[in-house]
Amino acid sequence: MSEEVTLAIDGKEVKAEKGTTILEVAKANKIDIPTLCYNEKMTPYGGCRICMVEITKGGRRKLVTSCAYPVEEGLEVATNNERIRKVRGMLLELLLPLADTGPIRELAEKYGVTKSRFEAKPTDCILCGLCVRYCAEVKKVNAVCFTGRGTSRDISPMPEIAPDICPICQECNSLCPAGKIVELTQDRHLLSIPISKKKTIASG
Amino acid sequence: MVEKLKSASELTNLRERIIANRDPSKSVVSICIGTGCTALGAKKVVEVLGEEIKSKNLEERVKVKQTGCLGFCEVGPRVIVYPEEISYFKVKPEDVPEIVSQTIMKKDVVKRLLYVDHGTGETATTLEDVPFYKHQQRILLEKNAKIDPKDIEDYITLGGYDALPKALFQMTPQQVVELVKKSNLRGRGGGGFPTGRKWETTRNAPGEPKYVIANCDEGDPGAFMDRSIVEGNPHSIIEGLIIGAYAIGAHEGFIYVREEYPLAVENVNIALGQAQEHGLLGENILGSGFNFTIRVHRGAGAFVSGESSALISAIEGTVGEPKPKYVHAAIKGLWGKPTCLNNVKTWAYVPLIILNGVDWFRSIGTKNSSGTAIFSLVGKVNNTGLVEVPMGITLRNLIYKIGGGIKDGKKFKAVQTGGPSGGFIPEQYLDTPVDFDELTKVGSMMGSGGMIVMDEDTCIVDVTRYYANFLSDESCGKCVPCREGLKQIVGILNRICAGSGREEDLKTLDDLSELLRDASLCALGSTAANPLTTSSLYFKDEYEEHIRNKRCPSKVCRDLIAYYIKPESCQACLICLRNCPVKAIAGEKSIVHVIDQEKCIKCGMCIEVCPFDAIEKLSPAVPPTASYGIKVTPKKRR
Amino acid sequence: MLNAPMKPADDRKKPFFVGLRMTKEERSILDKIQEKVGLTKTESLLKGLEILSEYYSLGLDQPPLSFELKKLEEEAIQHADALKRIRRREDALKEIIHELRIIDQIVNKYNDKNALIQILIDIQNKFNWISKTAVIWISERLEIPTSSIYQIATFYKFFTLTPRGRHLVRVCLGTACHVRGGPKVMETVERTLGVEQGDVTSDGKFSLERVNCLGCCALGPVIVVDNDYYGNFKTADVGKVLSKYS
Repeated sequence: MSEEVTLAIDGKEVKAEKGTTILEVAKANKIDIPTLCYNEKMTPYGGCRICMVEITKGGRRKLVTSCAYPVEEGLEVATNNERIRKVRGMLLELLLPLADTGPIRELAEKYGVTKSRFEAKPTDCILCGLCVRYCAEVKKVNAVCFTGRGTSRDISPMPEIAPDICPICQECNSLCPAGKIVELTQDRHLLSIPISKKKTIASG
Repeated sequence: MVEKLKSASELTNLRERIIANRDPSKSVVSICIGTGCTALGAKKVVEVLGEEIKSKNLEERVKVKQTGCLGFCEVGPRVIVYPEEISYFKVKPEDVPEIVSQTIMKKDVVKRLLYVDHGTGETATTLEDVPFYKHQQRILLEKNAKIDPKDIEDYITLGGYDALPKALFQMTPQQVVELVKKSNLRGRGGGGFPTGRKWETTRNAPGEPKYVIANCDEGDPGAFMDRSIVEGNPHSIIEGLIIGAYAIGAHEGFIYVREEYPLAVENVNIALGQAQEHGLLGENILGSGFNFTIRVHRGAGAFVSGESSALISAIEGTVGEPKPKYVHAAIKGLWGKPTCLNNVKTWAYVPLIILNGVDWFRSIGTKNSSGTAIFSLVGKVNNTGLVEVPMGITLRNLIYKIGGGIKDGKKFKAVQTGGPSGGFIPEQYLDTPVDFDELTKVGSMMGSGGMIVMDEDTCIVDVTRYYANFLSDESCGKCVPCREGLKQIVGILNRICAGSGREEDLKTLDDLSELLRDASLCALGSTAANPLTTSSLYFKDEYEEHIRNKRCPSKVCRDLIAYYIKPESCQACLICLRNCPVKAIAGEKSIVHVIDQEKCIKCGMCIEVCPFDAIEKLSPAVPPTASYGIKVTPKKRR
Repeated sequence: MLNAPMKPADDRKKPFFVGLRMTKEERSILDKIQEKVGLTKTESLLKGLEILSEYYSLGLDQPPLSFELKKLEEEAIQHADALKRIRRREDALKEIIHELRIIDQIVNKYNDKNALIQILIDIQNKFNWISKTAVIWISERLEIPTSSIYQIATFYKFFTLTPRGRHLVRVCLGTACHVRGGPKVMETVERTLGVEQGDVTSDGKFSLERVNCLGCCALGPVIVVDNDYYGNFKTADVGKVLSKYS
């Protein structure tokens, strides 16, 4: 039961099937929206927030992630106005100290972020989750997963599965914005070493 | 063996039978064993009371009832003797024999155990005379003094489960929804969304089965009203849930209780068992043909799980991470089915509205916020505890009339409402009436009802840093603005409190706040900026003092203060010297003591123990150079 | 057969029916083991044959079970090490068997994949940690990937992947307690116990954790040791309270 709706992206009127996401509709109409954690093979994650667009619905404006928001009749979408560019700039300013590589560097340059006010340990991992979701949803192996929460969120290999499978598979490498998955798996601590939960007010 | 009730009249008969079996002349001693009073030793009082009653052979004449929390925890343990309603506070096990011999046997009052008002010095005999309680309207909390949460019969005798047959047999589900809509009940979880509308959306959403959920995650530090209701009167929530399920068309419900409330988990499980036994839950409730069961889900220590989509994820068995909420839970919630999630307080109001009617509920509160609200008034006020008042009362009345004003006569600085998602409200807005909309107008929010009062000795920058650290700790870490943004905010605030703040920090904090508000995935992130924005708006001078002058006006931030022993006041008593954990104080008898600033860890132990008020905190941390060997100026002891 | 008294001394001097000679040392080791277990050599050998026959009939000598059994045995030793108490192989195995049976009971109580969090809460309450063996076992029983379990165990504060101390000290650092001096209480406890929050004392007696709100806000600062709540807590009382626990 596909119902067709009409909406406007950046002033251009487009038609789409009800329920498709703004991102998919934009792609189909050759409108470019940047993404970091999106991949068409997997369910949308909504973690990087780079794909955010401003929608106007019923007179109210708000920012939503285009990878997850389903289109509706009469929706007005702005993909690149000043508010959005500022948001993307701030996001990239936060990510650059973590991983100054490939797709992130390119996006940063595009949005005029040459240096960052922030300091962070360069872990080369922005926790976009592409490797985790690929391994869980596409390969159905679950060799890596998210562990921890908040600032101690990390990606850990499963000690029972990863050492045997990852060196052979390596398929998630092409997805990683830092391009370093298998190295990470081999270098990072395995879960047999207890995870420290030390948190004091003084430490960041 | 309990007989399952198979009709409304059987329930009425049961109620009458229980009341008939209870001797109204029998004394009932109600003691709170909620978490608060237990922390102050209530269990021992209960034990001694039991022994004393036994030894005086009074078991036939006196019944001891262990009840839930009435919210005035700081004056616990709390004992009330009915039917006279004589109320005693701060009761110790040693006081018990007198209570038994004087009050229970002779109906005499033990004066020293009565409540004494800080300001006026007046004593109060009954609960209603206590100023803290006098100005409240405790429609939800009042039963907590008279109910043993482990005994369903107490709830039934006070009119409990009276609303249920009315809804099941005298109203259609649609009529129940209409009633709740008309009553203008708004969600007490913090969002204030019109409850009736949520019920209607869930009811009309396509898909089966439907679910109802009661949220008792209460992660807001400083809030404990949900705890009191779930611990003290779990049946009120159960009854509300059954009525709601009937209205919405759900047959399965969940009560989500955080594991940090073990007594609440225990009591709600007992209550569910008893309700099931009596035929008030399960199949064919009261013979109406309506089936409904409730399961308890324990939280495992995550503040973010209180957010509705995260809570639903947790019940589904996965991590409590919020999901992008573009389709409401009412349409696609638990396992993709229509789900109505409300706070436990919201559910608890429902039976009262059914029984007393829409006009009664709307007569309390303001035009847009009907009914009462329960606030957790804590911090630097004289009377801390749970306050249930009609919406619309001003902050000033809450803090000064009910709260008894600022502790130790200090000056008011700010009140923080709505937990870590709320903002600081300064003195100029004290006359703001408290309701959902008014608080949002001054930059804060009602939230779950937490209200933390701060005085001149509270450093606003330090508290903002505390909130940022709390939220960063509790963040699920999925989205960049919250995870990375809050981390940077904590880092910057730490620097400011340590004396390394920079001019540009204020602009950076502003930019990060804006990012959080605009781009976060869930409400934890988007409201995380509120403490920051309100504190920079109303207390910018404190930030500037920290950054420019390395000074903490309230003398709280460790790195910006120094402890100094005033030579003219020190009496060389050696007490601080002995108590200093790092032996940073040098001194001997008749020689003024001196603190070695290099060793001092600023723990404050010396000030606590000094009997002469001879030690002071200085900010900026530049104490006068101390020379060793000054002779003491003798003074009389205070 | 199993608990029969020791055979008379003459029997023990006869040569071994499998034809192996034992040195005096070997003989004294065997005597010590047999004295402890209460079985003679022949009784032990017969029992061993019975066990072996069952071993083969369960398919435990063939992969994949043989492989997994070996890994479980290694797990049992590591598990015992982490608990800092058992050294001998057979005791470590007995400990693991006991734990795994209890985990089975807990899983059967809920019998639902979706109740994973509730199952883990019960396991944490019972054993004071979520061990690696527990994770592997639950993954097998509920047929879910280990990643789901690790994700939950590391997301929620209630679970620990290392054993907690015998007594859990939680200091409330909610807002009301913070404003009333909670951080000072935490520092004093840290100093007294010699650990930072989140750690266990070296003797395994106390675990210290921060909790974000216990709901006793009117009584701040508050600490809880096991199930004992202490309200209006004064830093001077830290030593007194902690000495109550053995």
